[in-house]
Amino acid sequence: MKKRIGVFICHCGINIAGTVDVKETVKELTKHQDVEHSVDYVYMCSEPGQNLIKEAIKDKKLDSIVISCCSPTLHESTFRKAAKEAGINEFQCEIANIREQCSWVHKDKKKATEKAKKITRSAVERVLKNESLEPISFPVTSRALVIGGGIAGIQSALDIADSGYEVILVERDPSIGGHMIQLSETFPTLDCSQCILTPKMVEVSKHPNIKLMTYSEVQEVSGYVGNFNVKILKKPTYVDPEACTLCDDCTEACPVVVPNEFDFGLTGRKAIYIPFPQAIPATFTLDVKNCPGLLPIACGKCADVCEPEAIDFDMKPEIVEEKVGAIIVATGYDQYDKEKMKEYGYGKYADVLDGLQFERLLSASGPTLGKVLRPSDHKEPKEVVFIQCVGSRDPELHCSYCSKICCMYTAKHAMLYKHHVPDGQSYVFYIDIRSGGKNYEEFVQRATEEDGVVYLRGKVSKIFEENGKITVWGADTLTGKEVEINADMVVLAMAMRPSKGSEELVKKLKIGMDKDGFLTEAHPKLRPVESLTSGIFLAGAAQAPKDIPEVVAQASGAAAKAISILSQDQLFHSPMVAEVKPNLCTGCGMCVDVCAYDAISIEEGKAEVNRVLCEGCGTCSATCLRAAVQVKNITPGQIHEMIEASVGG
Amino acid sequence: MTKDFEPKIVAFLCKWCSSAGSDLAGVSRMKYPPNVVPITVMCSGSVSPLYIFNAFQKGADGVLVSGCHPGDCHYIKGNFYARRRIALVKELLDFIGLEPERFKMSWVSAAEGTKYTEIIKDFVKDLKPLGPQKKLRRDL
Amino acid sequence: MVDIEKLRKEAKKILKEGKVKYIIGYTKSSQNFSASPVFITKPEDTSRLIWNPTCVQNLVKFIVDDKQKQCKEKEPDERPIGIMVKGCDSRAINVLIQEKFIDREDVYLLGVSCEELGVLDEKKIAKKLKGGKIEKVDFDKKKNIIISTKDGEVKIPIKEVLAERCLECRANFPVIYDTLYGEKVEREVKEPFKSLNQIESQSFKKRWNFWAEQLDRCIRCYACRSICPMCYCDECVADSINYAVTPETTAEEKAQKIQWIERSPDLSENIGYHLIRAIHLAGRCIDCGECERACPVDIPLRLLNKKLEKAAHELFDYDVGFDHEKPSLISSFKDEDPEDFIR
Repeated sequence: MKKRIGVFICHCGINIAGTVDVKETVKELTKHQDVEHSVDYVYMCSEPGQNLIKEAIKDKKLDSIVISCCSPTLHESTFRKAAKEAGINEFQCEIANIREQCSWVHKDKKKATEKAKKITRSAVERVLKNESLEPISFPVTSRALVIGGGIAGIQSALDIADSGYEVILVERDPSIGGHMIQLSETFPTLDCSQCILTPKMVEVSKHPNIKLMTYSEVQEVSGYVGNFNVKILKKPTYVDPEACTLCDDCTEACPVVVPNEFDFGLTGRKAIYIPFPQAIPATFTLDVKNCPGLLPIACGKCADVCEPEAIDFDMKPEIVEEKVGAIIVATGYDQYDKEKMKEYGYGKYADVLDGLQFERLLSASGPTLGKVLRPSDHKEPKEVVFIQCVGSRDPELHCSYCSKICCMYTAKHAMLYKHHVPDGQSYVFYIDIRSGGKNYEEFVQRATEEDGVVYLRGKVSKIFEENGKITVWGADTLTGKEVEINADMVVLAMAMRPSKGSEELVKKLKIGMDKDGFLTEAHPKLRPVESLTSGIFLAGAAQAPKDIPEVVAQASGAAAKAISILSQDQLFHSPMVAEVKPNLCTGCGMCVDVCAYDAISIEEGKAEVNRVLCEGCGTCSATCLRAAVQVKNITPGQIHEMIEASVGG
Repeated sequence: MTKDFEPKIVAFLCKWCSSAGSDLAGVSRMKYPPNVVPITVMCSGSVSPLYIFNAFQKGADGVLVSGCHPGDCHYIKGNFYARRRIALVKELLDFIGLEPERFKMSWVSAAEGTKYTEIIKDFVKDLKPLGPQKKLRRDL
Repeated sequence: MVDIEKLRKEAKKILKEGKVKYIIGYTKSSQNFSASPVFITKPEDTSRLIWNPTCVQNLVKFIVDDKQKQCKEKEPDERPIGIMVKGCDSRAINVLIQEKFIDREDVYLLGVSCEELGVLDEKKIAKKLKGGKIEKVDFDKKKNIIISTKDGEVKIPIKEVLAERCLECRANFPVIYDTLYGEKVEREVKEPFKSLNQIESQSFKKRWNFWAEQLDRCIRCYACRSICPMCYCDECVADSINYAVTPETTAEEKAQKIQWIERSPDLSENIGYHLIRAIHLAGRCIDCGECERACPVDIPLRLLNKKLEKAAHELFDYDVGFDHEKPSLISSFKDEDPEDFIR
């Protein structure tokens, strides 16, 4: 059937008409055998302009239109909507960019006009073979999955749950709380970290809409936005959380002592333990890896003394399958691997600590009950050196990026140290001070003004132990002098790294990861909480180093995005997706290999496209040797004609 | 060749990066010669070798394929396949003796309006001395 | 040495046991001195199977034909086929398995090693004989070919009349087989892509002059496509007024077929056809040389495919047909893929 195409050339004031002869272009396009109507107008996107189009569609019984105007990024949706309102399929509307890619970049009017004709003709050839398409609708499961139980995950889960949707919160440790629960006080307010976080943790445990799965890990994710299938491994804790009374008898009885990861090795814990007193869920956990053995039961002392009989050695791991509509990844961070910073004596000398270890010393519920004591001899350090940027801002050897929070928490550490040890002296080796947040600058100034912290601008070249002290050699570039400090303790501000295990999770979810291992956002400026995969969102330090206020903001943002999916009965997907011609397909599977979205698979010897997963990139089409798969409305047949129109006579 | 010869270039630009970069050149009112007519495709990975051969067959004097920088592809990895595929096409066209200046590939991001402008200017400059492309062109 | 008796015995055994529906092998041609393909269905006929450097044909094409035939049958005979394969041919089998065109179980491979030699090039022999007609051909134990013409006997070292592709062959023994005959002789190939050297050392202008002259002769008989085992597509993208319309092709589809190449054997169309074919064989061609051998107008076709084989090897560290578990050349990539040609 012959198509009736309408061509509408916009002047865009003088933006186009000042260089391109629009009247001549209009005339040229009337020569095309399938063009029924060809006109120009001063501002096609304006209301009168759109009415011009709609009336022409009705009067001339047009079934497809080409608008020659500005870039499609501006008004493709405008004109498609107008087409729809005039009664034709919105995908029978194509844009010819004769402004950004023609009139605005050329001076020669004659040549610019010739080019505008070619561009318009090319769009006509394309629309000539366009099919009428309807957006693909699919149903939505109105539940969310949040991976990671730190402050980011907790905030996202609460926001979604408060909006009335069910949330599954998965955390691999025995308790939620992440790193924030390990901190003593938070900058810039010096709020007690546990005091502000534990109420949220309790809210999570009590919320009717939150299904909390701790000591659990995501094993497998399949499906697509609105319809994810998730398999979660629930590891056995060997303790019934309902029965456990937190009496502590099992811990006393347990013979095994291992480094306590909550205190970063500064203390030990038993094989059966509670990570910290305010743990949620409030229960003990048996760390079976460090237990002498359960098959057969080698020890069993904890069960012997457990009065409520909460310990069950027969607990088995469970695979739980859940269906969700949206996923939020909030897996947080870990500190830079200490193995990589041996030059600073980290791991070698007991009194060289990292930032989080120092937090535990400062913490009132920490290994030293809030006293700042040297791990080596339990004496109070009178001189402490803090080193910033350890592992950060070092493109040659370590991480090239800035870890953002270290300047602030180092200032905090130095100040809190002074509050704990009033006759102590702290030194901070820095390169820059980055304190851009609200009240941050004033906070850092207080460190020098009120707590006598000495800031030395320079790097540390060597650290070694001598006579029970840690000698630090560094530079003070502002005075131009070398500095030697015989410190009692050194604290390193380690670079922030994405949490261990992020890489495996990224592969399971098929979301992107940048060169530093942080999760990739869909757009660095405008889409910071979305991953490249539709339906999967990002929150917190897993996406990039950031402080708690930013984490909470991003977590709420991700929750809002998730809710925008969960609140719909059905979602719509662009219909410009790949389609297979089975009679040409030989099932070679090359298209399957190249698809970034796993949208194509071989079923019974032929390729088949999952229209909801397909993003319409066309890589499969260019790879297929037999032209058996093509993307709708941008087919090789259309491009064949567009090439001819673009080269011209 | 003669001063009057104006080479015809067909450019396959990926929508999300190179076409956006070309738009930016326009927004910034940069100026480059009108010899290039762009065809916007979704991804550089969707550019089939057949399009390139066909462009030369229809009389294009130069063909450009431009996509997102590696790692930045809007569709995650389409440009990696383009990189390999276009390398093979280039090897083949070089082997049969088509002047290597006639077929080019570039990475142009949405922020690189200037780069796109320079690419087109240089392309036209390189093509002018070669004259019209007659080797693969279909005679009418 | 390939023990042909052992091969015949195995062939007889698998036929008798019904392991295969028939065997494709080589036998002495009734027409001329060289070998000819033969289909053996009866166990006693396996004595006709031969092996010598005249066994030039790539028999894998027949496997493709059978597969295409079975797809159209109401009650297909999907029993495996026994086939004699040289090193190059075995790589073709690997590519077909890689592309899921056949399963490993569809073929019983009687692998023959070329050892230090390869197959003969009839044109080279003809040159040596300076027009003499071959009446009989023998091989002696010292790797010479003894040709009897009506003017007498000529003894030529086999190495002097081997096919060009054998001189740079990197697969002189089968890389996949069920049974192997002959030794896996490790051959050092100093210059694996030597045949390309001459063209690659020329200026672009000279290269073009060469190819324009060669491809101008093309009469678009499509013998190259017909004989190639990898050209198994039902509808060839290059010649879209195709040579095999499937029953499922709708009238609308036929009307919408893209004509990338015109039917006329003009130079531009010939070049277009050969460029498309070469690029579609990138990472798939195993240099069996059949296209060039079949060409009635002597176009050195295998050079186009060899060029892309070299590109795959040097640029992407990819070798065709050695491992059917690997993804194909164009559906995989490496982070280190070169981009020096990209601005």
